[in-house]
Amino acid sequence: KQWYQRRVRGHSQTHSSCFQNIYLAGKSITEKAVNRIVNGDTILIFKKSQLILHILLEAKAQNKEFKVVVVDSRPDLSGVSSCERLTAAGIPCSYVYINSSTYIMKKVTKVMLAADALLANGYVLGPVGTAMMGLIANTYNKPVIVCCETYKFCERVQTDSILYNELADPDSMLKTLNAEESPVAGWRESPNTRLVNLVYDTTPPALVSIVITEIAELPCSSAPVVLRRGAVKM
Amino acid sequence: IINMIINMLKQWYQRRVRGSFKNHEMDPFLLKKIPKDTVSRLEEFALYLRENKKERRSYVSVVKTVNVFRDLICTADWVTARELIKIIKCYCKYLPLSQSNETDVSNVVRRILKIIREENAGPEATNLADGISAFFKSDMKPSNLGRSDLQDNILNSIVELLVELDTSKSNIINMALEHIHSNERILTYGHSNTIRDFLLHGRRARDFEVIVCESGPSLQGHRMAAELSAGGIKTTVIADSAAFAIIHAVNKVIIGTHTIMADGALRAANGVHQLAMAAKYFSVPVIVCAALYKLSPTHLCSYDPDAFNKVIGPENMLNFSNAKLHSKVL
Repeated sequence: KQWYQRRVRGHSQTHSSCFQNIYLAGKSITEKAVNRIVNGDTILIFKKSQLILHILLEAKAQNKEFKVVVVDSRPDLSGVSSCERLTAAGIPCSYVYINSSTYIMKKVTKVMLAADALLANGYVLGPVGTAMMGLIANTYNKPVIVCCETYKFCERVQTDSILYNELADPDSMLKTLNAEESPVAGWRESPNTRLVNLVYDTTPPALVSIVITEIAELPCSSAPVVLRRGAVKM
Repeated sequence: IINMIINMLKQWYQRRVRGSFKNHEMDPFLLKKIPKDTVSRLEEFALYLRENKKERRSYVSVVKTVNVFRDLICTADWVTARELIKIIKCYCKYLPLSQSNETDVSNVVRRILKIIREENAGPEATNLADGISAFFKSDMKPSNLGRSDLQDNILNSIVELLVELDTSKSNIINMALEHIHSNERILTYGHSNTIRDFLLHGRRARDFEVIVCESGPSLQGHRMAAELSAGGIKTTVIADSAAFAIIHAVNKVIIGTHTIMADGALRAANGVHQLAMAAKYFSVPVIVCAALYKLSPTHLCSYDPDAFNKVIGPENMLNFSNAKLHSKVL
């Protein structure tokens, strides 16, 4: 019977749990997050994230009037492509480096961050610099919205960024826009110099206002509840 | 006579077109009081300030300022301290001192004016207990000293000021061993000559590690790291965004600054504020090393670029070759 059904229906995508957990989750989060964007907002995003861009483009498609500030950081500078996508859709966009985020934070109304994982103790694992955004937003009393699908919830517990992290290519830190050579270009020969290019960092739950997942909008501390419910099982 | 009339008409026309002479020429009152060769040196200094190179060292401009004003004091035509102060204030109107980043020069000019007032008040110098306004009015009293005596006293004090400026850095550096302990991890931001020499002095007796934030987009941190590791200190370069990730593992943060404001706030390089916030979150002590001429009696009035900040061209952030994006992004 199963074999027959599979032949007739094709390998139906819509019933696959993979499809549900990943693709539909994204759509559900988008719906919830777009509801939180109002006219006249200035939204701050950090670097490039498929989910956040999807949310912003969807909000624009629903004819909401808002501005975006893209905060970017070295060495990968992925915020540039974020900017490109947003301006192509007609959303007014500002581009700053992470150093200027304290200056620009006063003019922002919301901060939307994407997560790479949500740990069991509520810490948010994201691209390096996310924690800094959360801290500055908190200092200026701006709401921090983290968008995260439930498949990213993780049973690991981590209190700081160094316990578990990844190192990306250190030579990419030497890249300069105006093609001058960096003074530490010869760092491998020098025994005293090291370049460390961290990939992730953890944001403490106190700095996050809300986490939007496809099942509900939760505070960070609800991460173990979601894990216990087994919503993560694929 | 015809030439004279034509010149007068020309000047009148230029003044109308260009607006106030304050922007481009010196006040004629000033020009009367100063000999020609000094005028050219004064104009050169004003040009130096106007050029406003972002990598200009505070210490160099401060020493230049003192020398220029010393020149002015020696060669200008004055009899009483009051006249001299009037000449100096007139010259200051010509300098681009209203720009927010010229605080080091303004502070030194204030010091020089204070020296003049003190020397004028003589041995019964007004102490601040009489009130600050009494101190500022002290230049109205004609002192018993003639110009040459007064000038000698002023120049002596200026030489003392120069010596103080000269030794300010070495006094800071000598305190390095009190603040750096063995096997410590110290975080610093971008490039600072004072901090570099502070840390290198500490290296002579202690063994420690330094983590430098690269301070994009100018990447001054790379230069600092190269200089520190050449001096034998184990240095790690991290991106500014990683400061929060790494700061809990650091023992202290040591930074330099451009200015220290009257309420204790700092005007420093761009990412220092967020670094200080991260340090506060993890209760990591932040030590700032700065010479006395960086203390400014001004307060922060606004965060706008005109009043407080300096905005430079965006070519370091977004390449002009990406013109399509450039034209659309603020």
